[in-house]
Amino acid sequence: MDALIDQLKGEIIEQLNLEDLKKEDIDADATLFGEGLGLDSIDALELIVLLEKNHGIKVANPADGKKIFQSIRTMAEFIQANKK
Amino acid sequence: MEAYINGIGIISPQQTFDTADFLTEVVEHNSKSLPCIEPSYQEFLNPVLSRRMARIIKMSIAASSVCFKEANISIPDAIMTGTALGCLEDTEKFLSAIIENDEQFLTPTSFIQSTHNTVSAQIALQLKCMNYNFTYVHKGFSFESAVLDGLMTLAEGEAKNILVGGHDEMTDKYFRVCDRIGYWKKEENVPTMELINMKSDGSIAGEGASFFVLSNEKTESSYAVLRGIKAIYKPQSKQEIESKIAELLHSKELTFNDIDLVVYGINGDARFDKTYNILKDGIFKNSTSTYFKHLCGEYQTSGGFAMWLASNIIKRQMVPSAVLIGENKTKQIKNVLIYNTFLDTNHAVFLLSQC
Repeated sequence: MDALIDQLKGEIIEQLNLEDLKKEDIDADATLFGEGLGLDSIDALELIVLLEKNHGIKVANPADGKKIFQSIRTMAEFIQANKK
Repeated sequence: MEAYINGIGIISPQQTFDTADFLTEVVEHNSKSLPCIEPSYQEFLNPVLSRRMARIIKMSIAASSVCFKEANISIPDAIMTGTALGCLEDTEKFLSAIIENDEQFLTPTSFIQSTHNTVSAQIALQLKCMNYNFTYVHKGFSFESAVLDGLMTLAEGEAKNILVGGHDEMTDKYFRVCDRIGYWKKEENVPTMELINMKSDGSIAGEGASFFVLSNEKTESSYAVLRGIKAIYKPQSKQEIESKIAELLHSKELTFNDIDLVVYGINGDARFDKTYNILKDGIFKNSTSTYFKHLCGEYQTSGGFAMWLASNIIKRQMVPSAVLIGENKTKQIKNVLIYNTFLDTNHAVFLLSQC
């Protein structure tokens, strides 16, 4: 799980152009939207594409998005649970 | 149709961002592609927003901010920009992603930012400006169209202060494509300050973002008065060019002899520079001659760099030696004409006067 979280941090920094951040600056349990990383709705779309492109996982039910994208840890758990 | 130029912000391959400086130190690029000298954007952009912005958007927002500050306005009554290539870097990213990912997994950011009107929209978003906002995409007439719209809007009394601008960026891919169709010189290294003496085909690539506040009121910050503009598409003869220039001058009760200084778009391309030489050695033989594309390179909206140069020459009553061709023939510079062409297809004439 730790390796996957580390990998996800790197992918998110690259995909969302978070140039000023390093992996160690990001708390795996911090909220992605709102206060934590301060991401917005465009970033949400980028994260959906990231999951599909890099991990082959589609978010089938949009209602699950809030739970999946709560933090990097919840994203990693979702990837692990749905990995084919 | 006249307008005072009350503020200028420009990012170019020269140190033009600092409005107090006027070509005191010319940056000589020994290259066929002249990149812009960019400032730190921290002062102008929120880091959360800027992370999504391509270079040309950042350059344009910073340049327009300087422009507003100089003109002492917070929100313009209209925004008109001109660009031939739009946000090319993001367009390339978006199109490359389509190919690489077999038309799947398309990310939204580069798509959103890849449209031609992204720059004028982002400037408006930053300012929360809901006023008229238009982007002209007419290759070598893009900047000129924005300026013309600005002049007409002021003339109709629909606005008092207008932001007009031109922006185009050079990317590696676009440079290579243009190289294949003969836009650029074939020599390995091109000393830019020697560009005017080169006899070969092709020019050097450039880029830039230039913004101007046009106003119907003169202020302490006014550079010059923009008195008119003329676009000539594919002129067929020297006579046609001269008659269009004469038309513009006569409408302002001026003659060729009233032009103290001409800014030529000489770009070192032997195929096209002859037009400038005909004017320089003919109807404007008594005027001081200057040129600018050795400083900023060739690009579709280079007219913005020329307007910055002409405005500063008029305001400061000083002709930098780096732009002078031959001798400075006039003591007082009242009337300046810009003659610029893009690939001998789009010819543009601007008339500026001391205010």
